[in-house]
Amino acid sequence: MLLDQFNFHYISGWTAVASWRWIANDENCGICRMPFDGCCPDCKLPGDDCPLVWGQCSHCFHIHCIVKWLNSQQVHQLCPMCRQEWKFKE
Amino acid sequence: MPLSSPNKISLTEQPKVDEIRENKRKRNDENNPSPLKRARELDDPANMTDSQRKPNFSALTTPNNGITRHSSPLSNNKPGAAKKLVIKNFKEKPKMPENFQQETWRKLCEAVEAIHKSCSIRYSLEELYQAVENMCSYKMSANLYEQLKLVCEAHVRTCLEQFKADNSDYEQFLKLLDFCWQAHCRQMIMIRSIFLFLDRTFVLQNSTILSIWDMGLDLFRANVISDKVVEVKTVDGLLRLIERERNGEAVNRQLLKSLLRMLSDLQIYKEAFEKKFLEATDRLYAAEGQQLMQERDVPEYLHHVDKRLNEETERLLHYLDQSTKKPLIACVEKQLIDQHLPQILNKGLDNMLQENRIGDLMLLYQLFTRVNHGQKDLCSMFAVYIKKAGRMIVINNENDPDKDKEMVQKLLDFKDKIDNIIDVCFGKSEKFVNAMKESFENFINQRQNKPAELIAKYVDSKLKAGNKEATEEELEHLLDKIMVLFRFIHGKDVFEAFYKKDLAKRLLMSKSASVDAEKSMLSKLKQECGAAFTSKLEGMFKDMDLSKDLSLALKPYMQNLDVAGLIDLTVNILTMGYWPTYTPMEVHLPPEMIRYQEIFKKFYLGKHSGRKLQWQPSLGHCVLKAQFPSANKELQVSLFQSLCLLLFNTGNVLTYEEILTATAIEESELKRTLQSLACGKPTLRVLSKKPKGRDIEDGDKFYFNEEFKHPLFRIRINQVQMKETPEENTSTTERVFHDRQYQVDAAIVRIMKTRKTLSHNLLISELFNQLKFPVKPTDLKKRIESLIDRDYMERDKDNPNNYHYVA
Ligand SMILES: [Zn+2]
Ligand SMILES: [Zn+2]
Ligand SMILES: [Zn+2]
Repeated sequence: MLLDQFNFHYISGWTAVASWRWIANDENCGICRMPFDGCCPDCKLPGDDCPLVWGQCSHCFHIHCIVKWLNSQQVHQLCPMCRQEWKFKE
Repeated sequence: MPLSSPNKISLTEQPKVDEIRENKRKRNDENNPSPLKRARELDDPANMTDSQRKPNFSALTTPNNGITRHSSPLSNNKPGAAKKLVIKNFKEKPKMPENFQQETWRKLCEAVEAIHKSCSIRYSLEELYQAVENMCSYKMSANLYEQLKLVCEAHVRTCLEQFKADNSDYEQFLKLLDFCWQAHCRQMIMIRSIFLFLDRTFVLQNSTILSIWDMGLDLFRANVISDKVVEVKTVDGLLRLIERERNGEAVNRQLLKSLLRMLSDLQIYKEAFEKKFLEATDRLYAAEGQQLMQERDVPEYLHHVDKRLNEETERLLHYLDQSTKKPLIACVEKQLIDQHLPQILNKGLDNMLQENRIGDLMLLYQLFTRVNHGQKDLCSMFAVYIKKAGRMIVINNENDPDKDKEMVQKLLDFKDKIDNIIDVCFGKSEKFVNAMKESFENFINQRQNKPAELIAKYVDSKLKAGNKEATEEELEHLLDKIMVLFRFIHGKDVFEAFYKKDLAKRLLMSKSASVDAEKSMLSKLKQECGAAFTSKLEGMFKDMDLSKDLSLALKPYMQNLDVAGLIDLTVNILTMGYWPTYTPMEVHLPPEMIRYQEIFKKFYLGKHSGRKLQWQPSLGHCVLKAQFPSANKELQVSLFQSLCLLLFNTGNVLTYEEILTATAIEESELKRTLQSLACGKPTLRVLSKKPKGRDIEDGDKFYFNEEFKHPLFRIRINQVQMKETPEENTSTTERVFHDRQYQVDAAIVRIMKTRKTLSHNLLISELFNQLKFPVKPTDLKKRIESLIDRDYMERDKDNPNNYHYVA
């Protein structure tokens, strides 16, 4: 690039915009059946207020949904989708 | 005290009939006190000194009618008799002189006739009093009363003859009658004062006998007024006088007043006069109402009615009896207002409202308040007008964008105007306020979606930076007014969608005029529609705050990485659920920018796992340092504008196709971008185009504008993509409908989850309560079916109208 031969413009400031969404293996939460872009039925707002959690089986749910589900399980805590033992990822 | 009344009468004055009536009333009140007290009172005239009495009496007669004072009834007219002594000794009854009755009556009769003829009386008052008293003492009262009555009757009859002979016109006739009446009253007052003793003894003791004053009235009534000819002539005359006055002539009100008083005193006001008067009034105003409704426009007509009412009130003040007030005013109201309610409203209301004729509307309200259904009818026609005029503002069948652009301002102005009319003209009546609200709600929702959208955009125009007009306070006031319109809108979610889209632009492009105003608007919406309505909008503000923090943390992160760069990067991170949906676009960025994106992505995902980022290049903007031969400039441009301009670092001329390939910006987006750079305001054209023209065509060539000159260093180049495209608009509206489905589903699930079992109708009515947008029962039914299909709920096996929640 011959800087002195041509006009020279450059960007000094940039306000970029990006949106974020959950990396989920499905459109909807398998427990409440609401979309992951939305929130669980107990919440008003999606996003940080109603986050998702992933199990080691790689299924994910609204955190409020899975916690409620696990509390309702008497003996073994199983993933409601694949019936494997539920363990939080990480 | 009744006795004093003659003292006050003078012949030169009108007889004070009121006073007499008043005294009569008092007399009647005094009818019960003990006889002793009465007797004492009767002594009073006798105790008066001569000098006191004489001037008093002479006031009643013509000045020459001197009354000889010395005589006393018992002294037989001998002058010089010591009357005090005689009176004092009167306690013992003297013998009755011969011819006493005839003599005494002769004297009295002579006096009465003298009064009737207005001649002087030969006897002193005291003598006459005494004569009466004496006759009464000798039990001649009944006889005396009869005689007196006969004399008076004979006199009254001569009056009648006079009237019968009279052939003059009615006004002369009325004057003559008035003259006779006045004379009669005067005479009866004098006669009564002479015969007072009779009045207070004989009359008082006999309830069937009329007092002397009443006898006089009775005689006048029986002998004069009850004569058909006289009565008809009198009443017709009065009515003609009043008719002339109603036609605008000045008439002798004193005459009217006096004669109407006469009729009242004679107790024939009602049957002889009032009935006919009201009939005449009714006829007159019935005809007048019909005619003037045809001839005049409504405001003129109303002013005429007002004038008529005032005139009639004046009439009541000046000569009509107060008892006539109610029927008279009712008659005018009926014939001039009540009969024409629909016509007045149909013919005049719209115009008066349209032209904002405050004074006329005030009058209209006042007049209509007088009649039974006036306010109600006015109110319902007022509502009809608002709906009609409002529809004209809202409905836009040609979809003329210029008309839509003006809609909200026009609605605000219209609302101000109507409010003012209710305040000033319609007495701030709650009925009218409610009618206004209902009407606004009705017409504003006659057009689906658009008003909500335009209100949202209007708010945007006011909250956007560069809105010069308002101070904070004015802006606040304006927002309040907008909220009133907003309240009428049924599809509040449409408003929210557009409001959100504009708010997003204001936030992302830092175009917001004032954070305070933004927050204030948000709290107004929250107050109006509840926290759920604004939670996502608040989420957007939250994202902006988080992004600011993020950018602050980004700086040291980049320094640590030792990224040598010229770009000052800020990233706004949007939570998907809060913001409008943006279609992702892939464009070609310069490698340096891609590097920055990658660094940021690593930085962000390091903080937030389980997320993925989607860049939104269409929302980005840049500060571009540009070198022109004349000067260096700092351009504030969109990311797309920057991408195009950067291409000119490598060549001075580029074709449209070359730019398209190099940037990969979507075509319509690219065309708008190039338009903003090459076809905008001549002073802001950093590119020039060949061939010239407003539209970008395939094959167009673009040149870097060497001639570019601008007085400012920092230049914002209007970003055409800020403008909403028709597709963008449609997709916003579509999203609203999609969202509505989702909200209906969520509401049904929420309700069923708490109620477990519910009948169809109850579920539907609960839904109507909860949903904030217009929705049809058939649509709800579809959503219920869909939820049943998806196993959220099920029908009762026995009763298909009942639903159960499926856990
Ligand atoms: Zn869930
Ligand atoms: Zn939740
Ligand atoms: Zn699983």
